[in-house]
Parts: sequence; structure tokens; C-alpha cells
Amino acid sequence: MLDSAMAALASLADPSLLIMLLIGTVAGLIMGLIPGLGGTGAVAILLPITFGMEPPQALALLIGALAVVHTSDTVSAVLLGAPGSASASVTMLDGYSMAKKGQAARALTLAFLSSMAGGIIGAVGLTLAIPLARPLVLSFASPELFMLTVLGVSLAAVLSRGNIIKGVSAGLLGLILGMVGTSPTTAEERFTFGSLFLGDGLSLVAVALGIFGLAEIASRASQRRGEKQTISLGGGWGQGIREWLTHWTQVIRGALIGIWAGVLPGVGATAGTWMAYGQAVATAKDKRQFGKGDPRGIVGPESANNSVEAGDLIPTLLFGIPGGVPSAMLLGMLLTYGIQPGPSIITEHLDLMYLIVWSFAIASILGALLCFLSVKQLAKLTKVPFAVLAAGLVAIMLLGSFQEGGQLGDLWIMIILGVFGWLLKSTGFPRAPFLIGFVLAIPLERYYFLTDSLYEGFDWMARPGVMVFLAILILPMIWAFIKFIRARRHTNLDDGHRDEQPEDDEAPLKNSTWSLAASGIFFVAFAAALISSASFSPEARLVPQLVSTGGLIFSGILLFIEIRRRLRDRTPKADQSISEEAEVILSTQPAKAGWTLDARFALKTFLWMTGFLALTAAFGYLIAVTIFIPAFLLIVARARLKVAIIYTGVLYIVLLALPSLLPIDLPQGWLNTLV
Amino acid sequence: MTSNKSSLEPPGVSPDGTAGQAEQTEQPDPPKHSRRTILAAVGAFALLGTATTVLGGSLLNPPSSTEDGDFSGETLEFLIPLASGGGTDTWARFIGTELTNYVAGRPGFAPVNEAGGEGILGTNRFARSAKTDGTEILVGTASTVVPWVLGRSAVKYSFEDLKPVVVNGTGGVIYARAEAGVASVQDLINRDTPLVFGGISATGLDITTLVAFDLLEADVTSTFGFEGRGPVNLALQRGEIDLDYQTTSAYGSAVEGIVKEGKAVVLMSFGQLNEAGDVVRDPNFPDVPTVAEAYETLHGKKPSGEKYEAYKTLLGLTYTYQKGLWVPQETPEKAYELLRQSSEQLGTDKAFQEKAAKVLGGYPLVADTGMADRVRDAYKVSGSVRSYVTGLLADKYNIHVE
Repeated sequence: MLDSAMAALASLADPSLLIMLLIGTVAGLIMGLIPGLGGTGAVAILLPITFGMEPPQALALLIGALAVVHTSDTVSAVLLGAPGSASASVTMLDGYSMAKKGQAARALTLAFLSSMAGGIIGAVGLTLAIPLARPLVLSFASPELFMLTVLGVSLAAVLSRGNIIKGVSAGLLGLILGMVGTSPTTAEERFTFGSLFLGDGLSLVAVALGIFGLAEIASRASQRRGEKQTISLGGGWGQGIREWLTHWTQVIRGALIGIWAGVLPGVGATAGTWMAYGQAVATAKDKRQFGKGDPRGIVGPESANNSVEAGDLIPTLLFGIPGGVPSAMLLGMLLTYGIQPGPSIITEHLDLMYLIVWSFAIASILGALLCFLSVKQLAKLTKVPFAVLAAGLVAIMLLGSFQEGGQLGDLWIMIILGVFGWLLKSTGFPRAPFLIGFVLAIPLERYYFLTDSLYEGFDWMARPGVMVFLAILILPMIWAFIKFIRARRHTNLDDGHRDEQPEDDEAPLKNSTWSLAASGIFFVAFAAALISSASFSPEARLVPQLVSTGGLIFSGILLFIEIRRRLRDRTPKADQSISEEAEVILSTQPAKAGWTLDARFALKTFLWMTGFLALTAAFGYLIAVTIFIPAFLLIVARARLKVAIIYTGVLYIVLLALPSLLPIDLPQGWLNTLV
Repeated sequence: MTSNKSSLEPPGVSPDGTAGQAEQTEQPDPPKHSRRTILAAVGAFALLGTATTVLGGSLLNPPSSTEDGDFSGETLEFLIPLASGGGTDTWARFIGTELTNYVAGRPGFAPVNEAGGEGILGTNRFARSAKTDGTEILVGTASTVVPWVLGRSAVKYSFEDLKPVVVNGTGGVIYARAEAGVASVQDLINRDTPLVFGGISATGLDITTLVAFDLLEADVTSTFGFEGRGPVNLALQRGEIDLDYQTTSAYGSAVEGIVKEGKAVVLMSFGQLNEAGDVVRDPNFPDVPTVAEAYETLHGKKPSGEKYEAYKTLLGLTYTYQKGLWVPQETPEKAYELLRQSSEQLGTDKAFQEKAAKVLGGYPLVADTGMADRVRDAYKVSGSVRSYVTGLLADKYNIHVE
């Protein structure tokens, strides 16, 4: 074994292999930077190039790209609040908060180092897993996978940052949204309103980019000036590395969770990364800083999302079961070389297996190094006025999200969810549970039904694996419940006042008409889901009905709280026992009544996006960009004319060149069909 | 490309004229631009974009000339109605890349994934608005064939309106878990407890296997909802289910090993349709009896009747002629023939066959002169077959096709 490992390492000294690895790494980094493309884009662009290469070269190229996509997708998440991929939205929570405090370089340093470590640990895991993979995968039967998804969904409570009712409501709504499409058990269409387009379910990229990315753009597009304070690295790289080293346990934990999530078919990178975050929060003694720039919130998930890719290679190579689109493409490539994945790959192609391991590790280091060296330059991006960046970001994110299925409908969904995401964000609903609910909806239902129909009664509950999960689940739940009761006692019936949450700048529209409306939307959505699921067959109906009933209860409580507060706010002086603090809150936030400047600006931005998409639908993407970008830059961002002209010109050239350089299609409009 | 370069200089804009506000950017909010500036800039760029789209459309893609014996300067656009990364996608990209080298004039290759509705949306779109000059090619696969066979109302295409350029088959085997008490085909009937078959969805590729079980009168119950065939194979190894099938390309990684270890038993292969439309042994599994032979072993007579007819139809559609490249029926004969002959050359090229052995799963690319007729026969689905299949789904699996 060691011999082949060393032989594989020696073969990497071959310059042609090294060059391929380097090209792959750079391509992966670039594709990771562009929101919406990610690993799928990286492999898709490189795959046609590999036809005609020798297997080692081709593998070095693809693995190089695959290993680093999740290193660079952090950049836009941290700097701009627009995640480069669905799983990068996890890093965004704390990374972006840190960047907003002027510590972008610190966040990026932590993220890159963690990515690198995650990649290396992933590669080691890949090596060790070769003999262990089969028993590991086989020991995870449907009941264990079901419990795993339950655990994932229950993280919604952990991730809801102090407001469990809002967090659970958001998680449940995410579950409902995830069930749009074909039911996994009965193959009937649910919540599609007869639309074939919705039959495949909503695209994860569109949902993640909408709920996080577009929402962020809308709430910040009013910033016509860049960050004033200069971003310093704060003591140089040495300090960054030293700080990172203090979190080494998080790195290892995150990476292990990542490998594990990658090995199990059906869990996926996004859910795996969330779980890494969830465990970091759940096991931390002091949770207050999470979501506000806690380094642990960056380190854990960043290690995880790189090691997921390594973990994913295990079932891909050993069972021929890819866990995601990129590894599916890799599988396809192996087949074109006549390399048959399966248990025998270890005996027949051990050298290639080790080549993959080494390539993964080297690419991880190389990718992190390249990113690390550019931290300073990258961090300068925050000096550019956000409104100026927003114009290009909208164009790029919509283009990125279009690539997955080539459907304009995905983009409309993205904008609608953008508005919804903005509403959630501004009214203090955590969005993380929403996304995790969305991702896990179908696996949860799938494995529930498989468990139910393959095992008799509740026999499966007695399986040792299941019991471990039950323990992990129930103990923190009890703890959370105790804390919840305590917290409520402390708040003394005053819901607007939370002593451990001075983060109302994050949610400026909390306790306003807007949050009342948000609660109303939740309530109506759950009610509608409950009513329309009545027409499904019994099997397809069960889970949606349970979820929407639960949602009705939680959103009902929310609605009740909101209405009660409004009634009380109307007569604030009648009750003298309301603490003075509450009055202070009321008086310092006079604009809460409703139509604030920010809200107006955000909604206007969404109108701009809608206009952009309408232009695309009518005239195609190129014309839409040449109209939208200069108009947005001049009117909204008030950029200098020169900036606007160069900006649009560059984008125009890029759009012209892109389709022939990369496997990217521009959305076609009605006009294109005429020409 | 020349037209692009000349249009790079935006016409009608005076670049430096209004940039005088430069110094004010450090102040709180930059001032508004005058309406004239905005209109001029946006208008100029809009013009540029429109010009590129309109001119670029016809200059970059001049009207095709595919009937002149070569495809030089053209681009073959493959419409893949499924998301990138799957088996069909890999197949199409591989074939496309290779095929374009064989087509005279060496056209470009542009795979386009248009996913949605499990392949139905993209195929609908193709049927509605594909170019009929031979440059736009549909990739057909079981995902789009089965809903058409079932007559789903969402399907707006018909394979009878399309012409096959090349087809590529696949095959598969049905195997069982040894520990479930299965040693041979005989153990499928007269059981104390039925065997559990693990499926993805009754309205997908699984349908052929379900019809085979119905034909054999096998004592089988089915659990659907698995994510793919790989997870079903794992579930069988874990003992959660007893019966599974795998296609030929997955056989090596999923089945061969556990059969050697004695954990699983191969029961039968689906077989292949020969030119006369009969079920014959699969060249990749020459020693494995087909479903038809299994019927004889179990029931002592040759299979016949509506169930067998349905099985043969589905075998042709979902295995023997499973994947294919299609063009609209109206495609000019010359363009069509050029594509077909190029595919035939590709399929018979020894170097390609070697290279493609795994991607094609051990089945040849078929594009000979008689292919179109055979495919047309195979893709004729009689009313009785359709009603039997929808009836089977409704009665046994409580699935009502709309």
C-alpha cells in the first residue's frame, strides 16, 4: 500500500501532471468565485478538455478543480454576503458579519486555512476510508439515514439564535418548499399547480442565491460609498495563523463531519456543512457571538465543505454512487477511460486512487495558498461602493443560477425568494433553518417511508445507530427547552427586549408592520399547504400535513405575539409597569411603524431586478445587461459616467466571449427567437 | 467575429464630457446624474446590445447550409433534457464530442442542458421549436420515453414525429439477495413471504422490471422511493430489500462482486430485442437466461399474450433502443443522411469502439440503413400495451397516470 502511495506521489513530480493539477486548481478557484457555478461548473468546463488525455492527467485536472471550489466560493460569501455556492452560505453567517466589522481579511484567512486543513484531512480520510468504506456505508441503513436527516432538521432550533419560534417556523417553511415537486414515494406532483417546471422541485442554487444573495444586495444597494475604514490584516498573517490554530479542534471536528456527510449517499455538501456549523454552535459554551462574527462559525463549516468533496469521492469510486453533480461527472469521465468504479478499483487501479488522494491534498494546499496570498487584494473589494458591485453581482448571480437547468423560471423564483429572504432578514427570522429545511425535505421523507415500509413497526428504533442519534437529539432538545423557559422568564413578558441580542441593526424591521406581515405570510403559506395537500394520496400527504400543521401552530404563536404587541404599542402609556427600557426601544426606533427608507430602497432594488429579468425574457440576456447595468450604475449607484461606461463595456465583452470560452449559455429572450 | 470588434467602440457617446464630478465621490452621497447623461449612456449601450444580438445573430450564425454535403461552419446543438452530470448527460457529451469529428466539415459541438419535468419540458420545447436543418439534435432516453408510453398529459411530443440518427442500447440483470432464500428463478414463485423489490419510481425505468414480474407472476412486493439504483444496491447488501436490477454499465461495480462472494444470485437478464422483434440473450450476459426463458422455466410454456407483448415493447424502448439522437421529421434527407452515415462510421470505428466500451456499456452505436425502420417499429406502442401498463400501475401500485 505504502509503495503505491509513494509511487503515486513520485508520479506527480511529472511536470505534465503538475501542470494539469495547477490548471485544474486555478480553474476551480475561478469557478468557485462566481456565485452559482461552483463544482458543477468547474467540472463541466474541464470535462471536454479531458477527452483525449491520459487518465492520470485527466484525474489531476478534475480533482484539482474539485478540491478547491469550496475554498474560493467563500470569497464572495464573506466579502459581499453573496454565497458562491449553497454550502458557502454557511460560512457567510459569521464570515460576512466579521467582514462588516472591517475584519474581512481575518475572516478570509481563517476560512482559507480551514479549507486547506479540511482538504488535507479529507484526503487522509479518503486513504483511511478505503478499507473501512464498505462496512461504514452498509451500516447506515434507511433508519439511520432517517435519523440523520431528523438531526439535521432539528439543527434549525440550534441555528435560530435565540428565537426558537421564528427559527422553527422558518425551518418548517423550508421543508414545505423543499417538497415542491415530485413526491419521492408516490411520484405524484405536489404543490406544482400543474406546472411541469415545478415538477423537478426548486433549484437549490436559485433558492440559496435568492434567499441570501439577492436579499443581501437589496438591503445594501443603497450604499453608494465604500467602506471608509481601511482594512488591516491586524498583525499580519502570523496572527491569523495563530488564531486559527487555537480552533484546531473545530477544524478536525468540521472535517470529520464533512467526510462523513460526503460518504453517506443522499446527505450532500450543503447539509453536511450545515451540520458542521450546527455542531459548532451546539457544543459551544458561549453561543452569543454566532452569526455575529464568531471565528468558530467560519472554521468548522469551512473545513467541512472541503472534506465533503473528499468524502464524496469514496462512494463514487468504491460503489459507483456519486453524491453530487461534480462527482457524477467525474464518474462519467472514469467510465470513458474504461475505469470501472467499484470495490475492485482498489486492487485494479490502486495507483490512480492514490493519485487522486495526493492530487486532492496538493490542490487543497495550492488553492488555499493562492487565495491566502490574495487576501489583501480581495479584501479591498469591500472599499468599492456596494451599489456599484450590486449591478454586476445581480447579472452574474442570475447568469450562474441559469446554468444549472437552463430555465428562466429558476430566475423568477430566485427573485421572489430574494424578496422573501429580505423580509426574513429584516424582521429577524433566521434564514439558515429555512435553507436546511429546504435541503433535507426530500431525504427526510424518503427515508421515513423507506424505514416505515422496510421495517416492521418500531423495530428500527432499537437499532444501535438509531439509539445513538436519538440520544444526540433528545438531550440538547431538553436543554434547549429549559433554556427557552428560562429565557422567557427573564424577558418578563416584554418580547421586544432581549438582553443578549443587541443586534437589531441586523433586523431593522423587527416588531413592525413588516414582521406582522411576515408572520402572516408564514401562517397563510402553512394554511395553503395544509389545504392543498388534502388532495394528495395518503402516502404523499402525510409529511406535508404534519409539517404544515406544525407550521400553523408555530406561526400562529408568532402571529399572536405580533398582534398582541401591536395592540399594546398603540397604548404604550396606559400600562406604567412596562419597563422604561421598552419605552427607550420604542422611542429610539421611531421609524418602525412601516415604510422606512431602507425598506423602500430594498423593494425598489427588487423592482430593478424584476425589470432586468423582464428585459431578459423579452430581448435576451445581452441586451438586458447593456440596459440594466448602465442604468443601475447611473441612477441607483450614481457611479461616475466613466465607471459606468467601462463597467458595462467590460461586462459586454465578457458576455460575448463567455459562451465560447466556458460552457455557459446566455438566457435567450423573445427577440432571439425572431432573429 | 469582425463585427464584434468594430462595434466595441460605443457609438454616439462622448466618454469624457460629463465626468467632471469626479472629486465629489468622497462626499456623503454622489450627486444624481442628469437625465440626459443617463439616457445617452443607457441608450448607447442598449443600441450596442441590440445591434450585437440582431447582427450577431445572423452574422455569427448565418443561415445554415447543411444540405451541401458538409456541416462546415455549423454547430451541432445537442439538447439534453436532463441536468448535467447524469448518465445520459455523460453519454451525450461523449458521443457529441466524438461525432463532430466524423461529420464532414467538422461542425462545432454545443451541448445544452434544458432540465425540467424529468426531461419532459426540454423535449416538449424541442418538439415545438427545434430547427429542422439538422443542426439541432434531441437526446432521447428512458426518462422521456416512459412518460410518452404512459400517455402522460404533460407530454407534448411524440417519438413518431422524430427521426432517429443513431441509437444505443443497454441491458440489465435482475438479481436477488441469497440470504432471502433465493437460489434460482424457481424461488420467485410459491413463496411463504413475498420478496421485496426496491425501486425508484414505478413510472420510470422500473416499469419494465415491474412488467417482467407481472409476466412471470412472481411473488414480489415493491417499495419505491430510493434515490437511485446505487442506493438500492446498497440496501440489498444491507438486507433491507431482496430484489434489484442493475443496468449493464453498473453490473461490474454493483453486482459482480457480491455474486462472487455468494451474497447475491443473478436470476435473469432482460435480454435484447433482435431484428425480428424477439427476445434474445444479451451479448453481455450470454450465460444468463432472459425473462422469456425464465417464464418457460417457471410455467413450462413459451410466454405470449398482452403481458408479453407489453414486455417486448418496453424492452425495446427502455433497453435495446434506449438512448438515441433524434432530429425532427422535417429535416432534409441530405442533412439527415450525412448525420446518420457519420454516426455509422463512428460506430464501426475500431478505435472508437475501444475507447467507448465503458460509456456505451458494451452495446454498439447503431446507425445502419435499416436502423430507422427498426426503431420506428419498436417505438410503435399499441393501444392495448398502453392500457395494460396504465392498468397495472393503477391496480397494483395505485398510481393513476394523468
